[in-house]
Amino acid sequence: MPGTRTKLVMDNRPIGRVLMACMILGFASLVATGVAAAWLTGRNQEHTRWVNHTYEVELAIANASIAIEQGETPRRGYLITRAPAYLETYRANRARQPEILAKVSRLTADNPRQRANYAMLVALVGNLQRQRDLTIGLVQQGRGREAIARFFTETAAQRMMKIRAVATRMADEERRLLKIRDAEQTRSVRAFYLVLALAGLILLVVAILSLTTVMRYTRDLTRSRDSLNTLNETLEAQVVERTADLSLANDEIQRFAYIVSHDLRSPLVNVMGFTAELAATIAPLEDLLERAEATAPEIVSEDARLAVREDLPEAVSFIRTSTQKMDRLINAILKLSREGRRVITPERLDIAELVGTIRASMQHIIDDRGATVSVEGSIPGIVSDRVAIEQILSNLIENATKYLQPGRSGVITVSGHEARGRVHLAVADNGRGIDPRDHSRVFDLFRRSGAQDQPGEGIGLAHVRALAYRLGGTIDLASELGKGATFRLNLPKILNTQDPKA
Amino acid sequence: MTEHQTVGIVMIEDDEGHARLIEKNIRRAGISNGIRHFTDGTTALDFLFNAPEGPALNGPALILLDLNLPDMSGTDILVRIKAEGSPLKRTPVVVLTTTDDKVEIQRCYDLGCNVYITKPVNYESFATAIRQLGLFLSVIQVPEIEG
Repeated sequence: MPGTRTKLVMDNRPIGRVLMACMILGFASLVATGVAAAWLTGRNQEHTRWVNHTYEVELAIANASIAIEQGETPRRGYLITRAPAYLETYRANRARQPEILAKVSRLTADNPRQRANYAMLVALVGNLQRQRDLTIGLVQQGRGREAIARFFTETAAQRMMKIRAVATRMADEERRLLKIRDAEQTRSVRAFYLVLALAGLILLVVAILSLTTVMRYTRDLTRSRDSLNTLNETLEAQVVERTADLSLANDEIQRFAYIVSHDLRSPLVNVMGFTAELAATIAPLEDLLERAEATAPEIVSEDARLAVREDLPEAVSFIRTSTQKMDRLINAILKLSREGRRVITPERLDIAELVGTIRASMQHIIDDRGATVSVEGSIPGIVSDRVAIEQILSNLIENATKYLQPGRSGVITVSGHEARGRVHLAVADNGRGIDPRDHSRVFDLFRRSGAQDQPGEGIGLAHVRALAYRLGGTIDLASELGKGATFRLNLPKILNTQDPKA
Repeated sequence: MTEHQTVGIVMIEDDEGHARLIEKNIRRAGISNGIRHFTDGTTALDFLFNAPEGPALNGPALILLDLNLPDMSGTDILVRIKAEGSPLKRTPVVVLTTTDDKVEIQRCYDLGCNVYITKPVNYESFATAIRQLGLFLSVIQVPEIEG
């Protein structure tokens, strides 16, 4: 038998697991990137804040320096001109100074070094201020000369220089801090880019991995689909091939059954024929015996009398009943084989109607045996051979009425349903049931089950099964002793007419 | 009936028992024509066509033919007898066999068999059938053989 069996190789590699791992890794790197970006943004803000702070401090220091420097100009103007306008400017400037210095103090509160610087600055400014106030006071008291003399001797210029140096130191300190912060910022950015590059790399790897996995999977799928297609395409041919093989085998069996039964018949004709001839000789012998008994009883032996009157008729009778039985059996085989050769003509059938016809045709038997036959529910339509279905159902129904449980009136129901292109018919009874051991045996030719109290040769169910097979169906049986039996027939909804014999 | 006395019956039947039963019952029907019995196809064909006293060379005949023969099928013999140009093509052939297969019956009639009879297994029926065949044989007209 040709027809290579194409095997579908399903790839069992854990493709799902690989993809899942890839996805998790991908998402993890994305999350890491996001976290890094958020962190960097935070760092950036922090840095910006510090940069601003630095500039603020610088500005505050510069302001302070300027204010201090500016304090000198109205003082000198006042010392020289004693114009009250200068005094006023001076006072205004002086009034502003604590506030400006306080700002520097506030801004540099966190830095001990700046604190020290600031303390120095405050001390210097305080000294300066005292000297300035002193000179201004002298001028106000009208001691102008003394004030100017004082101005010459005082160390204001040096103090100013010192103040400038301190201010520059403070600004430098802030710049130093800014530089450190800049370096930190650069490091952060570098770290961020590192994280970004790493995540990008991971994503790339994950993408390549996922892509190859998916592609491999797709390729496998395509291959499977292709082989499936090929299988599908060749399936029909294979089915046709197998069907041809099967029907060939079936034909062979049919022919065998036919030849055997036929050739068995031939000698049987002789046996029966000559038995009849033999039986025909009994009459003249009997005649002769009677005449001998009447005319010369002494020549009639007891043996001769027994032979003619008992042995001969008995032998003939046994031969006859045996040959008749053999004839029936051979005829059964012939009938089966002929049934197998009968042309099947599928047509649309209404099973319920068919059951009705069968019931009507065997109504007297059904009534005699005290049974009822009914159709339960609706039975789906079927396209099959009318004669075969009729024979199957009538055999099953006849059997059901035949093997009733004593003392229980027979209730026989025929039901059916459809499933996946097949029609399942069931003939159920409440009869005496069949021993589960005999369930397959009862379908064999000449085999029967249970008490042999009913006439029959064990042909009916064999015939039913042969017919069911012929219609592309199967038959089986569910039963328990004493609890009735259900014969289940499984037939194609539409009988395939491409059957080579049909 | 005198006219039919000359018609010889050729029985080709491999089963001695069947042959005997057939002969007995034909005789019981009152047929007294000569019956030549052959158990195989080869000798039967030889007699039919070549024997000096055979029907091809010597007078009309009626053939009783069984289909199941040991050396050839009865239909082969039928083909030979009914073949175009055969001297015996008008000779009546009664196929008397156990086969009751429809196809086989059709085939035999297609090949030119004149009567097809299935041997009943039941002897009563068998005997009756043969006796009726005997009656039938006693009334049918058999054509002369044409050289």
